[in-house]
Amino acid sequence: MFDPVDDLIERIARHLQRPVQIDPALDGRVMREITALPTPGGATALGRAWRWLRRRHQLTLTPLGGLAAAAALAVVVFLSRMDRTPSPAPRAESRAFQFVLVAPRATRISLVGDFNDWDATRTPMRRAGSEALWTAVVPLAPGRYHYAFLVDGSRWLADPSAPVARDEDYGAPSSVVTVGAGGGDS
Amino acid sequence: MTRAFIHTAVPLLAAMLVAGRAAAQQIDPRLERLDAATRPAVLALVDSARRDLLPTEPLVQRALEGATKRASGDVIVAAVRRLAVDLGHARQALGSTASPAELSAGAAALHAGASQTTLAELRHVRGEPLIVPLAVLADLVASGVPVDSAAAAVLSLARRARDADLVEFRRAVERDIALGAPPAAATAAAATAQSVDVNAGARQQRPGRP
Repeated sequence: MFDPVDDLIERIARHLQRPVQIDPALDGRVMREITALPTPGGATALGRAWRWLRRRHQLTLTPLGGLAAAAALAVVVFLSRMDRTPSPAPRAESRAFQFVLVAPRATRISLVGDFNDWDATRTPMRRAGSEALWTAVVPLAPGRYHYAFLVDGSRWLADPSAPVARDEDYGAPSSVVTVGAGGGDS
Repeated sequence: MTRAFIHTAVPLLAAMLVAGRAAAQQIDPRLERLDAATRPAVLALVDSARRDLLPTEPLVQRALEGATKRASGDVIVAAVRRLAVDLGHARQALGSTASPAELSAGAAALHAGASQTTLAELRHVRGEPLIVPLAVLADLVASGVPVDSAAAAVLSLARRARDADLVEFRRAVERDIALGAPPAAATAAAATAQSVDVNAGARQQRPGRP
């Protein structure tokens, strides 16, 4: 019995079972496309560096190589120590100094100098006893310090009871206080 | 081995070197108070002083003083540069063992007009720290005493006088000048008086007051 439906199915199956002709250059094209795709870490030098940093490396050294590495490390430590600013005298050597100014008409006075980074907000002076007397106490390590009083935020005053600082540069007057290592203070 | 060393250890060591230098050269945040044009010049002077193993704190303070007093950038840079030069000369005169405080006082004395020879002689004659003798020398010159008279008096007293005696000497000179004495004569008189009783040991240490 001839069934036209079965015949159709059989013809379709035969067609599908025929070998497919693939372009021999396809593999090459596919691989080129894959290579051209962006990688997760980026194809830049930064990406390569990041992958290098995450990869395990095995390092074998000769004794000479190890010595060279140790020497380089010593250089790093030496350079970082050499660049340190000489540290100020230890706080333990500091002594309390009282600064006094008579300024009856002032409403606020700041003590400003080498000991407080010339920051007018750091050492406000306080009235002591009478309305005219202003004082501030600052711990000072041995050394020589320039300072001045800033009256009402705009007027610079040198300390009338201290040596004057010789200063041709900044115009505004300053005074000098010297703290001796052995107790001679001026 | 060589290839592995070059590819692994060398980059790591280079990174360590760079990191070490960067950490050491961190910018002092206080200098951010300077304007953008002045800051690099001051930083260069501070870095140069640091390389020469000079104290950098006096330079920073000098720059901050200028900023607070609203000096122009050029004036600030010139002042910091001059101080750096004076600190270098002070170290030449006082030796590499001088403390930062001594160098700072020495720079002030040089700026006042004292010679490097005077500083070197002071170092030679006095075993104690030189902060006070150098400061007294600078203060006397700032008071109007001729630098030669001031240097001769301080050198003479520095051999035996304590720091407190030198301070008292300076006060006596300033007192006499305020009373009308010529500065050189006031210095000579005070030095003579001081040398008479410099070792009397009768003076009490003054309270801490400028």
